[in-house]
Amino acid sequence: MNNARPVTIIMVEDDEGHARLIEKNIRRAGVANEIVPFANGTEALAYLLGPDGTGLVNKGRQLLVLLDLNLPDMTGIDILEKVKSNEHTRRSPVVVLTTTDDQREIQRCYDLGANVYITKPVDYEGFSNAIKQLGLFFSVMQIPETD
Amino acid sequence: MPITSKTFVRSTALLLLVGLLALIGIVGTSIWLTDRSQVYLDEVIEARIARRAAVDLRASLLDMETGQRGYLLTLDESYLEPYEAARPRVLEQVEALKRVLAPYEVAAAPLQQLEADVTFKLAEMDETITQARANDVNAAIARVRTDQGQEAMNGIMTFIDSLISAVDARLVEGVGNQRSTGEALRIVSIVGGLIILMVVAGAIWAVLSYTQELANARRAVEEANTSLEERVRERTSELGKANEEIQRFAYIVTHDLRAPLVNIMGFTAELETSVDEVKTYMEAQETAGDDPLASQARIAATEDLPEAISFIRAATRKMDGLINAILKISREGRRQLNPEPVELSEIAETSAAAVHHQVAESEGSIETDIRVGKLITDRLSLEQILGNMLDNAVKYQEPSRPLRVVIRARHVPGNRVHIEVEDNGRGIADADHERVFELFRRSGSQTSAGEGIGLAHVRTMVRSLGGDVTLTSSLGEGTTFIINLPRDSRAFLGRLGA
Repeated sequence: MNNARPVTIIMVEDDEGHARLIEKNIRRAGVANEIVPFANGTEALAYLLGPDGTGLVNKGRQLLVLLDLNLPDMTGIDILEKVKSNEHTRRSPVVVLTTTDDQREIQRCYDLGANVYITKPVDYEGFSNAIKQLGLFFSVMQIPETD
Repeated sequence: MPITSKTFVRSTALLLLVGLLALIGIVGTSIWLTDRSQVYLDEVIEARIARRAAVDLRASLLDMETGQRGYLLTLDESYLEPYEAARPRVLEQVEALKRVLAPYEVAAAPLQQLEADVTFKLAEMDETITQARANDVNAAIARVRTDQGQEAMNGIMTFIDSLISAVDARLVEGVGNQRSTGEALRIVSIVGGLIILMVVAGAIWAVLSYTQELANARRAVEEANTSLEERVRERTSELGKANEEIQRFAYIVTHDLRAPLVNIMGFTAELETSVDEVKTYMEAQETAGDDPLASQARIAATEDLPEAISFIRAATRKMDGLINAILKISREGRRQLNPEPVELSEIAETSAAAVHHQVAESEGSIETDIRVGKLITDRLSLEQILGNMLDNAVKYQEPSRPLRVVIRARHVPGNRVHIEVEDNGRGIADADHERVFELFRRSGSQTSAGEGIGLAHVRTMVRSLGGDVTLTSSLGEGTTFIINLPRDSRAFLGRLGA
């Protein structure tokens, strides 16, 4: 990965186990980037958009958001909506990683600007593979700076 | 006034009876009265005949007496002409009178007297005339002067007069009787006619009010029907909503169950990886002396831990299967059904073709006998239903004989169809006939893998199309599934959606 512009992975996942498994598998794929975990939506939004909610705080950073839709305080869709409607963060890729495979939900996420939608496979091998491949994908993808 | 059907029948029957009685009365009285007037008429005719006979006799006798007297006075033969003319008629006329009066016993004695008087009178007159012709006029006159002939004549006249007045009285009575008979006939006709008119009026009233009552009742039934349909629609829609809620609930629950399961499976896999490493290490250390702690740790790492992990994995896999099954059913329930014209025979052929390979392996066969046309139903559901049935037939066939499956479809009353899937498989025990349709329940020996959701799924789908599925089976001989579906599911689906 481009070391000159380190990409920060923001992981919004309320299930600690899932968060840990995701992190482990990403690491296994050889991705060494910083992963910032959040267990609820409020904190994640505060980090992404700054305390003033403008998103200026992250200006010039490369962010990649891993988003679970089922959060205790809000749905991931709220976060997706805010991230994609903020002028500073809207170009940051958002990967929705969730258990829901409802077609309407998937469409809605893409409509709101989600870049990738991944359903967590229940069988662990599938899950682990998906995360590893996601990590491989991260290692080659170009992430724009927020502006 | 309300009229129930019972009172209507009763009152109509009563009215008809009254009308019938009135009619019988009129006809009976008419016949009787006509008979009576015939009798009166006969009597009148008879009386007239008797009167005539009496009058004729009187005229003849008077003619004869007139002739006799004229001749005795003048001795001129020409005066005897009426006498000669009447003489032969008299006896005949007496006979006629006797004939007419024969039925009346009262007249027998006076008649005898009359006959005697007539005979005597004739004899007296003949005698006087004979004496006069023999120029013994004095003797003849002397004979007349005895007044015996006069008396006889008086007797005859009295008889005839009384007969005539009796006959006249009789005639008057006859005419009176005739008139009163006519009067009675008229009254009976009027009264009977009035009764019949009243009966008809009553019947018309009964029919009208009954018809009115029927119309009212029909209107009430129609109203009740409408409100009933309204209520059914409301209830169905409520049920549909409740059903939807349950399915949504199942969907959410299974989703939320999945999240911890992913953790269990994930960390089990991590654990397995770690245990593998430990195991490899321990096996490499095999020769490191006989420290009991070390050998226990070795056993734990090489046997106990892998065993425990394999059980955990099996259990989680099983649980995953169950959750998936529930998810599948709840998703199926949430799927928007799309009623369209579907050729059942086509689907049956397709479903049969899908398992053809497996069936052919055991030299089995699938026959279809579809005698229904197009159904309006959800194609995907129907495909899955039949597919499931055939899968089951293949899965649970009796290995000792080739599989025979027959798919039959018939119309049944109520605009529905019966689809039967009959197999000669191993059958289902009586106790399990209902159980096999329950989720996660299976019947018989568990010789093949499965989660026990197929028939539960089938039942859910059939019911969501407005039908039902039942089975008949005898253990060891085969099973017949009977699917009862509406020919047109639109009404049912529309009602649920309302």
